[in-house]
Amino acid sequence: MRDRSRRVLVHVGTPKTGTSFVQDVLWLNRESLARQGILYPADRFDEHFLAALDLLELPWGGLERQAVGAWDRLAARIRDWSGTAIVSHEILATATRQQVRRALDSFGDAEVHVVLSARDLVRQIPAEWQENVKHRRTLGYRQFLDKVTDPGRNGELASWFWGVQEVPDILDRWGSRLPADQVHLITVPKPGAPRRLLWERFAAVLGLDAAALAPETTRANTSLGVPETALVRRINERVNNGVLRNEDYRLFVRELLVHRSLSLRTGSARLLLPPDVRSWAVRLSESWIEELHRRGYHVEGSLEELRPDPDGRAPFTDPDRPEERDVSDAAVHAVVTLLEELANVSGSLRAELEATYVELERSRSPWFRAKRRLRLEAGRRPAVGRALAAYRRVRRSSSRSA
Amino acid sequence: MSRVVYLHVGAPKTGTTYLQDRLSLNRGSLARHGVTYPLGLHQSDHFGPALDLIKVPWGGLQHDVEGQWDALSARVRRADGTVVVSHEILAAAKPGQVRRAMAGLEDSEVHLVYSARDLARQIPAEWQESIKHQRKVGFAGFLKQVQAAKRTRPSLWFWRVQSLPDVLTRWSRGLPPERVHLVTVPQQGAPRDLLWQRYCRAFGIDPAWAPQQSGRENASIGAAETYLLRRLNRRLRAAGLTSEDYRLLIREVVVHQTLARRGGTRVTLPPAAFPWATEVAEEWVEWVQGSGIQVIGDVADLLPVPPPPGQPWANPDRPPRPEMVDAAVDAIVALALEAANRPDPSGNLGARLGRMARRLRPR
Amino acid sequence: MSYQQAVWAWNQHLRAGGVTPWREWLRTRPEGGGTDDPHVPAAWVPPGAAQLEFVRLAALLGAHDPRFVRLADLATGRSGPGRGLAQQPLWWPPDVPGRRFGAPPVDPSQVPAEELVRVGVGALVELLLAVPEPPPRVRRRSRTARWRSGYVVEGAPVTRSALRRSLAEQGYAEGGRRPRVLLAVEPFDDLLAQVWSARVQRGAAVRWHGFVRRWAGRAALPPAADLPALARSWADRVGVDRVHVLVGADSSFDPAAAVRPAGRREEGVAGPEPEVRDLSPAAVDVLRRVNAVLSVRVAPERQRSVLPGLVDDLARVAPPGPGLTVPPPFQDWARSRAERIADELRSGDYPVHGSLEGILPRVAGLRTHPSRQDALAVVLAACLRQVR
Repeated sequence: MRDRSRRVLVHVGTPKTGTSFVQDVLWLNRESLARQGILYPADRFDEHFLAALDLLELPWGGLERQAVGAWDRLAARIRDWSGTAIVSHEILATATRQQVRRALDSFGDAEVHVVLSARDLVRQIPAEWQENVKHRRTLGYRQFLDKVTDPGRNGELASWFWGVQEVPDILDRWGSRLPADQVHLITVPKPGAPRRLLWERFAAVLGLDAAALAPETTRANTSLGVPETALVRRINERVNNGVLRNEDYRLFVRELLVHRSLSLRTGSARLLLPPDVRSWAVRLSESWIEELHRRGYHVEGSLEELRPDPDGRAPFTDPDRPEERDVSDAAVHAVVTLLEELANVSGSLRAELEATYVELERSRSPWFRAKRRLRLEAGRRPAVGRALAAYRRVRRSSSRSA
Repeated sequence: MSRVVYLHVGAPKTGTTYLQDRLSLNRGSLARHGVTYPLGLHQSDHFGPALDLIKVPWGGLQHDVEGQWDALSARVRRADGTVVVSHEILAAAKPGQVRRAMAGLEDSEVHLVYSARDLARQIPAEWQESIKHQRKVGFAGFLKQVQAAKRTRPSLWFWRVQSLPDVLTRWSRGLPPERVHLVTVPQQGAPRDLLWQRYCRAFGIDPAWAPQQSGRENASIGAAETYLLRRLNRRLRAAGLTSEDYRLLIREVVVHQTLARRGGTRVTLPPAAFPWATEVAEEWVEWVQGSGIQVIGDVADLLPVPPPPGQPWANPDRPPRPEMVDAAVDAIVALALEAANRPDPSGNLGARLGRMARRLRPR
Repeated sequence: MSYQQAVWAWNQHLRAGGVTPWREWLRTRPEGGGTDDPHVPAAWVPPGAAQLEFVRLAALLGAHDPRFVRLADLATGRSGPGRGLAQQPLWWPPDVPGRRFGAPPVDPSQVPAEELVRVGVGALVELLLAVPEPPPRVRRRSRTARWRSGYVVEGAPVTRSALRRSLAEQGYAEGGRRPRVLLAVEPFDDLLAQVWSARVQRGAAVRWHGFVRRWAGRAALPPAADLPALARSWADRVGVDRVHVLVGADSSFDPAAAVRPAGRREEGVAGPEPEVRDLSPAAVDVLRRVNAVLSVRVAPERQRSVLPGLVDDLARVAPPGPGLTVPPPFQDWARSRAERIADELRSGDYPVHGSLEGILPRVAGLRTHPSRQDALAVVLAACLRQVR
């Protein structure tokens, strides 16, 4: 018999659908939530990520050492809780059926709900390639698209991509043993919708008070334009083979160049899908919508939002053959950014990140107040705002594929 | 008189960096053969004294070098035998400054040495040099200025240091022609060591007294690379880089260690400017032959060598964009490495950051 | 019969030691099993093609063992650990409606060896961790010569281990105040492969390619491979003439002859445990995969306690065979680095036994990566040994 007073909501993805934002809110408010009977079991900000690594038996650059036993610890806390518990991490989407069984079995007699947030493929596919480029890969856009659209799905890249993106399959793996009304699909609103809408949908499914918990309504957009992405890819080609160590790449290319400089440039062409892949993605989305409709899951939002917009808004700009003039502008911008950093014109990145990481390390209880103070001051002091943005990216990047 | 002073006053871009570095490297050995290359405690060359003499602001450096010329003169007067003083910006000295310099050396036998290279190579080289000193002018604009400016009693820096008859007239006043030596820079294709040997002959030293080679040279950079630098200069003015930072980051890290090693497309004079350049060179050759000064090398070296007919000219103001992006990516990598290798101000922060960063993502 | 039922039935067939491939089994099954639909337990999760094919291959090798069924259930009850392809369902006749989403189905006999190895490594880890933690080993210290000078072996880790054992068995004592030093030199690619093997045997999870790439990008060498530095630091302590450079296993030099003057002990001395075993490249590759999974499953102490038993098994199931050489992008680096080592050793004036040319990488005719097929054979054999 399931104990209906004990519920577990497992949010398993997908990436780039506001997951980090939700996890931030849950983490920062976990004490007040607990008083309301909602458990977000975490003593450190990446606790659910570690638990997922444990469940998936996934080595992660040495971090997995801290993940030993993390899933069982998480599950034990949930079994000991008498109300609602929430688990959230987007790499959980890749779990195999055997791993899902272990996860669901570990919650004891609680009523399990699976939650998946999803965004249309026409936005997800380019975003995933850009993430690849930001993680020092050199794969071209067309090569990436070829791998992703190949029905054979050979290789780790396609396996990972569809593992975290194929909504009907993720829900089948996670939800096939649950009644349809315990499977929740949250759709990401179309561009132009009010920014709070997505958060309100999450709050509705997770049983949270939307107004009380999320003071912020805006988040910086850190997506790269086409020439900027092309530039980063060329940098990757040059710095791989041991030229730049990983930690230096993270600091100076990803953090400084990508997040603090290139992604703030405006006016560059945005990365879209080429027409052929676009129509392929549209057809695929139709089959998803039809299938999801048939399965009768609880949908927060609308399946229609998974249908890509009719095309024709902007022409496709090929990042494999970018306008060299635009790339050279971005390149000059990047050189200047580095020079400013080196000349200490705009404050030292190291020192600033140090402050951020120190805050992160104090993640037990004082962190809560420190974070709130940071957040309050973010509007007044640009440096604090930057530190906060850095924290978020640290936070977010733990959800990236490996 | 027991002291002979060779005063080498330029011109810039005639292998002077290599020469001065080799003299400096072999100071001990030269001294054993009675040749003094007088350097102060923290000096690696005579730039400071030369700047003090010619009184040019030079990005605020002028005030740091006050008194250095007099100090150099004093060091020269303390030496016996042969003394070599060399700096290319001395060529810009005004008549009064020349008089002051000569007055300080009046108890010595002074020989004036001037080195010259043909204008078809000097104009692109000086243009690049100006870009390396944070100026923004395009090649076409630079060339136009050079062609329009007067070459006698010039005010334009280019001609103050490069106008052969003018420099020699200013500096050789009162010297007999046999004590004025013109070193010509060989045309391309000559043995690498030839210019060095010519300098040795001018200074009356045996090349064997300075056996240690120098690895330094003020190498030129390609057209796309120069263009990148111009773009950077435009942006850097707003960024507020100090001239110290500019020297270290741009001239050393970006230009010297990175762009100069790329071997890009050379900047050359446009074909249309060759007749004019040849005309100027012929005037010079005539002047040299009439003056009776000693030529080490061949005056014909001063005549520009036009490109083979039909060879397209690459306009350095419009280099291929992909080449420029490529150069920029090299610069980005060089600067990221420079940033990564900076000593960490707060001790073990690097290790700590590394540990934190490892969490983010492997590979 | 539904997909679920067919997979269930084939799984039962394999558990019982059957070895019929899936496509053939589908074709021939009605003759043997009749048409009655098997009852599939509700909680059963169908394994993927890789897991079932792994069981079939294991059955080919060891179905006669009564404990085989335990291995079969371990392999099908979990998915392959770490990164790889998504779990693929089994090929199913196209005219029968199946699932429209998820990883594409695959004929189990076409599953890449890499995926089978992954499944095997997962099962192997379960077997290793199922054994209760043993009491900590008491390390027996080997006896060292205190008064007279003994010997010390340095250099290529696998060769070094073998040499130490052999000398100990002959009764020579290690250590001493002014020992003779035997520096084991191997061709540079083998030297690196030995260092890789030694590191993996101590718990590292690095791939051969990644290991070589990492060192090729650095100025330094791994300490055990930095022969000139080892020789120099010993020469400073004991004198140049006592540092013997031994090149190549096949040199006519008898190591015992070099240490004999140091004093042979009359009574036999028990040799130290070989610290680094001579494993085949595929065995090292399996071990590094096991290390990767152990690192997310257990604490380092537990990992250290299960490794020696596994290393023993791997040494038994896979003969060492020819070694590895460095992958093509790093061969120029290996050659010039080896030449530098030879020059530095030459200029040190040490007694050299054999020709220093012997340090040049062999390259020709050697594998540049461990073979996946070999790794599959190793992991199958290791699983069957461990399940017993």
